[in-house]
Amino acid sequence: MNQSELPFLSASDLSRLIQSKEVSPVEATEAYLDRIEAEDFRFHSYITVMRDQAMDDARRAEQDIASGQHRGPMHGVPVAVKDQFWSKGVRSTGGSRILADFVPDEDATVITKLRKAGAVVLGKTNMTEFAITGFSHRYSTPRNPWDIDTYTGGSSSGSGAATAAYLCATSLGEDTGGSIRFPATWCGLVGIRPSWGLVSRHGVMRGVWSMDTVGPISRTVEDAAITLGAIAGHDASDPYSSKATVPDYQKSLGGDLTGLRIGVITEFMESDLVEPAVRQSVSKAIATLGELGATVEEVSIPLSMDAGVASAVLLAVEPALAQQDWIKDRIQDYGHDVRILLLTGSLLPAQAYYKAQKLRTMLRQQVLDSLGKYDVLVLPTSGKGAQQQVEDPPITSKETAGRLSFLFTRIFNLASCPAMSVPCGFDDRNMPVGLQIAALPGAEEKIFKVGHAYEQASTWHTMRPPGA
Amino acid sequence: MADLNKDEIRAMGKAVGLDIQDPELTEVMYSLNALLESLDAINPPGLNDVEPLPIILPPA
Repeated sequence: MNQSELPFLSASDLSRLIQSKEVSPVEATEAYLDRIEAEDFRFHSYITVMRDQAMDDARRAEQDIASGQHRGPMHGVPVAVKDQFWSKGVRSTGGSRILADFVPDEDATVITKLRKAGAVVLGKTNMTEFAITGFSHRYSTPRNPWDIDTYTGGSSSGSGAATAAYLCATSLGEDTGGSIRFPATWCGLVGIRPSWGLVSRHGVMRGVWSMDTVGPISRTVEDAAITLGAIAGHDASDPYSSKATVPDYQKSLGGDLTGLRIGVITEFMESDLVEPAVRQSVSKAIATLGELGATVEEVSIPLSMDAGVASAVLLAVEPALAQQDWIKDRIQDYGHDVRILLLTGSLLPAQAYYKAQKLRTMLRQQVLDSLGKYDVLVLPTSGKGAQQQVEDPPITSKETAGRLSFLFTRIFNLASCPAMSVPCGFDDRNMPVGLQIAALPGAEEKIFKVGHAYEQASTWHTMRPPGA
Repeated sequence: MADLNKDEIRAMGKAVGLDIQDPELTEVMYSLNALLESLDAINPPGLNDVEPLPIILPPA
């Protein structure tokens, strides 16, 4: 295979070729670095490319594999990581100007684990400022390979752009309110927010401590499975990380869905926030799940549509507390949307925060009760496909204050549940649409099984973005 | 619930050590009032009987 064609393989297929020694990690890494150098001026997906470190990682992987020490499916696979994660000796901005010169003296645990699995870290991807809004960027705004004039979704915007544009084999994002699943759905990718606590958050810049999760953004379900497998597991540096044994997620892939019970959340499917073409794509995908053997029924979660408001309070208050010194001393160093969000969060009364947490408790119970009856819940990831690039507009009324009401991801952040977005078609502007699949905490294997069965019954993951 | 006006927003800022001026003041006023109004409208039965539990611990 020509070296320039290597970036267009799935991470899993590349992994198999590396294991069989048909492709070397050095060849694959050079191919990605060359492609980044030639193409990323169009996508703005990386803040920092780690060429020298990546080539060192690749040479080490090549030597290990040549000497018979293959470490598993991520060995030699080039990966991009969000700039929200500390990287030793490499600046880690969190997408902010405030941390423009911040160089950590240790790696985030997820980067340590990637390297332990033999992965090659290509660089740090672009993101919205401190990952606390969906749109506001300080290092230019990433572009969507499906239409270069549209946005990727955020906050893991660069990870979405880099993965969809074949500028990495797979990537890591972080999801506090939907920041993995949002770019996944708008870029036609697979993104999974794991169970809270499954992946260490040591060295991850904080958004909302009880909602932050690190997970993969990938081109296929199998790629997401091998990426998550490399980073999951207990870490003594994160006291809230789970001590549960990490399953081999690849083993959950395959087979039909006979015997599985699937609940379709009616509040989201019937919402006016869902465009007709999106509803049609998601409905067809759900019908396919039935054809694959699953029992599909409608389920009501009455507080579903209130997840946006409850989470918006938490997403304003907690970062404002964490950054209170910068808010007082450096408020003009923030971009517009983040500045308004942090000032708003600084003023929200304690009663509002308390009420939001009580609503969260009730909503979580409704979700868990539903997941007592169904193996997975399904719904659209977003009510609409990718939108045109726009600068953060000023807030001119109460009605224009909320920017992300069409995003249906936060319910599972509040409930601490894992959830995946998998491509399921296109809207009426030919932009990708995502089906969201959620399960009980710790039940990622069910999500991978359902997501993979759907993916194999469809062709969306085989389509190449016209801009890539 | 009446909307907070600019003077009230400015005073709330001072209480937490922030001197908020326009144009941010106007936008924060809309943003804060929108959030408080939306939250005020959500009152499901039983809300007073639950505790504000932020997390459930991951399975061991």
